[in-house]
Amino acid sequence: MFEQQTSGDKGISAFPDGDNLFSWVATISGAANTVYEGIEFKLRMEFSNNYPFSAPTVRFTSPCFHPNVDQQGNICLDILKEKWSASYDVRALLLSIQSLLGEPNNSSPLNVQAADLWSDQSRFRQSVLERCSSCVRQS
Amino acid sequence: MAGVENTGEAGATGGQEGPEASDGAYECNICLDQARDAVVSMCGHLFCWPCLHTWLETRRNNQVCPVCKAAISRDKVIPLYGRNSSNKDPRNQLPPRPPGQRTEPENQGTTFGGVNFGDTNFHMSFGIGAFPLGFFASTLNFGGERLNPHAGLQPGQQFHADDQMLSKLFLGLGIFCVIWILLA
Ligand SMILES: [Zn+2]
Ligand SMILES: [Zn+2]
Repeated sequence: MFEQQTSGDKGISAFPDGDNLFSWVATISGAANTVYEGIEFKLRMEFSNNYPFSAPTVRFTSPCFHPNVDQQGNICLDILKEKWSASYDVRALLLSIQSLLGEPNNSSPLNVQAADLWSDQSRFRQSVLERCSSCVRQS
Repeated sequence: MAGVENTGEAGATGGQEGPEASDGAYECNICLDQARDAVVSMCGHLFCWPCLHTWLETRRNNQVCPVCKAAISRDKVIPLYGRNSSNKDPRNQLPPRPPGQRTEPENQGTTFGGVNFGDTNFHMSFGIGAFPLGFFASTLNFGGERLNPHAGLQPGQQFHADDQMLSKLFLGLGIFCVIWILLA
């Protein structure tokens, strides 16, 4: 019953990793009409005892080529840090990350190469696919 | 622990924006459970008092509503008292909800103390400023030209002297009138 299968929201899911309710595995699919379309990323969310009063730690476990995601999968997103709010649930968080995929903040990139390449969308998509060919969903 | 479990359930039912939003109408916006010791913020968002209190404690220098980011403070949330709700569990080592705020209906200038300091100040200064002129104008019908507060308005010393003279005159006449009224 913990599984989050959101029928209304396309392309996100999350469920606890086994019996550990403090560690969840999530998936996010790239939105249509973005360079991530048809690509599904896996993430891990770690919740502290203090949740929801402090943000969970969220990391891409699939290689994700994105201006605001570093080599280790760490995400630079304000709502995971100082803009965190206790009313965010897992769904809201995943939807925010999903929209970050299509709308990166290129002014303060973690991945400079990705930020530079963003203007060339077809080459950018190629780079995304090169790094995670297994992420492509069979449709 | 409970928070994480509840997150899963809320996700499954669609949360605030889902099609079944009416389900969660009385759920706390933080723990997503039915609000206990419910309070509502000025922006209209519902929370358990223990949840909101913890949130405010973790954000001492940035107190905003978790939902809409409106300014929020301990003194500006309103507790909701449903029937029988006060019989419920005694609050376990959490600070009690802030009390409800009753504002007395308006009555003329006698509300010293209490919450409405702004109003009180207004009444006080208005009364002191307006009393002498009103008194003379209505009671004595004394020479309109000179007592008109605007007639003698001149910048600098002149005005200052006039003003002092006028107020002395007022004071003298006022004392005279009081004595006169007392004797009459
Ligand atoms: Zn709550
Ligand atoms: Zn609010």
